[in-house]
Amino acid sequence: MSYCVNCGVELESSLVSCPLCNTPVINPNELPYVKKASPYPEEMGQVEVVKRKDWAILLSVVCGATALTCGLLNFLVFNQNMWSLLVIGICIIIWVAAFPAIVYTKLPIYVSLLADGASIAVYLYMITYVTHSDRWFFSLALPIVVIILCIAEIITLLGRKVSHTFLPSAVYLFGGVAILCVSIELLIDRFTGNKPALSWSAIVLTVCVIIEIALITILSRRRFRDAVRRRLHF
Amino acid sequence: MASQKNNRAERREWYKLDLSAIVYPTLQRKDFSSVYRLSVILKEEIQPEILQQAVDTALKRFPTYKAAIRKGLFWRYLEPNVRPGPFVQPDIKNPCMPMPFKANNRYLIRIYYHHCRIALEAHHSLGDGTGGMCVLQTITAVYLRLLGHKISCGGFVLDVDETPDPEELEDAYIRYANAQVRPPRPGEKTYRVRGTKEPFYTLNIIDGILSVKEIAKVASSYDATITEYLNACLLYALMQKQQHDWHKKLRPVKIAMPVNLRRFFPSKTLRNFITMVYPSIDPRLGEYTFEEIITQVHFYMRYYINEKFLRGDITTNAATQQNPVIRVIPLFIKDFVVRLFYTKVQDKNSSAGLTNMGALKVPEDMKPFIERFDIYMGQPFSSRTNCAIISFEDILTINFASSIKESDVERYFFKKLVQDGIHVKIESNREMED
Ligand SMILES: [Zn+2]
Repeated sequence: MSYCVNCGVELESSLVSCPLCNTPVINPNELPYVKKASPYPEEMGQVEVVKRKDWAILLSVVCGATALTCGLLNFLVFNQNMWSLLVIGICIIIWVAAFPAIVYTKLPIYVSLLADGASIAVYLYMITYVTHSDRWFFSLALPIVVIILCIAEIITLLGRKVSHTFLPSAVYLFGGVAILCVSIELLIDRFTGNKPALSWSAIVLTVCVIIEIALITILSRRRFRDAVRRRLHF
Repeated sequence: MASQKNNRAERREWYKLDLSAIVYPTLQRKDFSSVYRLSVILKEEIQPEILQQAVDTALKRFPTYKAAIRKGLFWRYLEPNVRPGPFVQPDIKNPCMPMPFKANNRYLIRIYYHHCRIALEAHHSLGDGTGGMCVLQTITAVYLRLLGHKISCGGFVLDVDETPDPEELEDAYIRYANAQVRPPRPGEKTYRVRGTKEPFYTLNIIDGILSVKEIAKVASSYDATITEYLNACLLYALMQKQQHDWHKKLRPVKIAMPVNLRRFFPSKTLRNFITMVYPSIDPRLGEYTFEEIITQVHFYMRYYINEKFLRGDITTNAATQQNPVIRVIPLFIKDFVVRLFYTKVQDKNSSAGLTNMGALKVPEDMKPFIERFDIYMGQPFSSRTNCAIISFEDILTINFASSIKESDVERYFFKKLVQDGIHVKIESNREMED
């Protein structure tokens, strides 16, 4: 029989710390590391998936049928160029993007974002079959997609782990926009063969930096203010 | 009109949702259902096959629990469910999971077993704790009979061979919603506990187990009943929590407490027949001592919980539902409005929930087989703590359920009990990290 030294309540014998105050239970008379059975089961229950199964089927059928018919049409009738790849690509993007929204999957949001990015990259690559050159894809489209994907993942991570309230979200967003604009300009410079230099993105960068500084000041000042109030209250 | 309906009850193929059941399906989200759990701990290990037999036998007696919910154009309704099930299943760590209406063969109840425990989870649109307790105790009685024990009927244990009494299936609100005025219900923003949300889907449980005799002695030393005393403890805990966290503005601390209307208006209904009262204190008026809180709660209860006030309350509730204009508004608009009203007004009107099912009676010959009962109000709609109390013989269990990481309210609450010299034993499904 153990008691919490802090709360004075008796603790059920399988508890290793007090659920009320997180004080660990140390009972010198009892052997440590003998795990006792908790009155609660170990297994977590899962909510049964019924979420709009029919909608998922409908979506898959519509996307699949569109892609297939366009492919056939392209192959058999209007076969001047590979136009059907554009339609098929769009179908893939719609399917990948809408699937997690319609069917409740246990997929973490990071993975579904990655899938979205990958499907867009695949689509862009398909376009290269129509344009006859894939230089624009490798030196411009793919890097931009990768950068946007990274920024989106980082913003999601920050929103999940740090704070998802209004002001911090604005900080992430403007930071992301600044990085994106600068990298797009540098990539364009490289693509066109110009010397890498900042022109229009410098303006965006400046504006974003000013907004960031303002936001961070507001955030930190509020924290500062609360800290002062906490320590100096009377 | 009500009696006419009752005569036809046996032949009925569907049931209207009762007055308070209308709200619960509206609040259904991917991560939230109004599900409560009742459980009984027996003295011997449960045998799942026999329990399944008991469930199958007992549920025939409860047509409104062997039901599925469906959408009409204007209202939802319950329909007898003839699909296979519900099936007993091993218990899980996170009780009161969301209950999608189309899952689980459309059943709105779940039955779990774990060592010596039988647990019943029911969607609130089927009925309240009293109704659920009848189902649970009847299942338990049938189970014990299948094991060869002799268990008599009475109280919560219904006779499974009887046909259901139409009164058990009635919407008792309508019968008693006959006051001549509709007293307005004041609503104001109350203190909300802030906390870190747990990931989908976790329900943190802390149970306190104590002796009825001990707590009754302490409560009477304050000239209060056990319910009043525990209400005051929870208000005290919430008040302390509000003081310790930093808030720009203090807000009143209110508890939403369901009152079992069967105590005042005789009805055998197994569906919802409860209404809410809101014992509260207002820290903006000054600091309260515990004695002041308990006095406040004591007189609040005396003033509000009586047949007259409650009749007025029921009438106010029923008025909106019976309004002919509201009745012909399509369901999706109603859903939208009700959800909006609930999240903006009703949900903000209380800081925590507390329910006390009181001292539970079971047939004399069933007593020796039962260790204790537990009751969980289920997942709170927003970040707050729900507290449910039930007692059997000398064991009183206080079950806290919350979906936030912090357990400060629970700590303040149990600390107060310990300070008053009550011995509390804690059980929990929480796993604390450092
Ligand atoms: Zn403790």
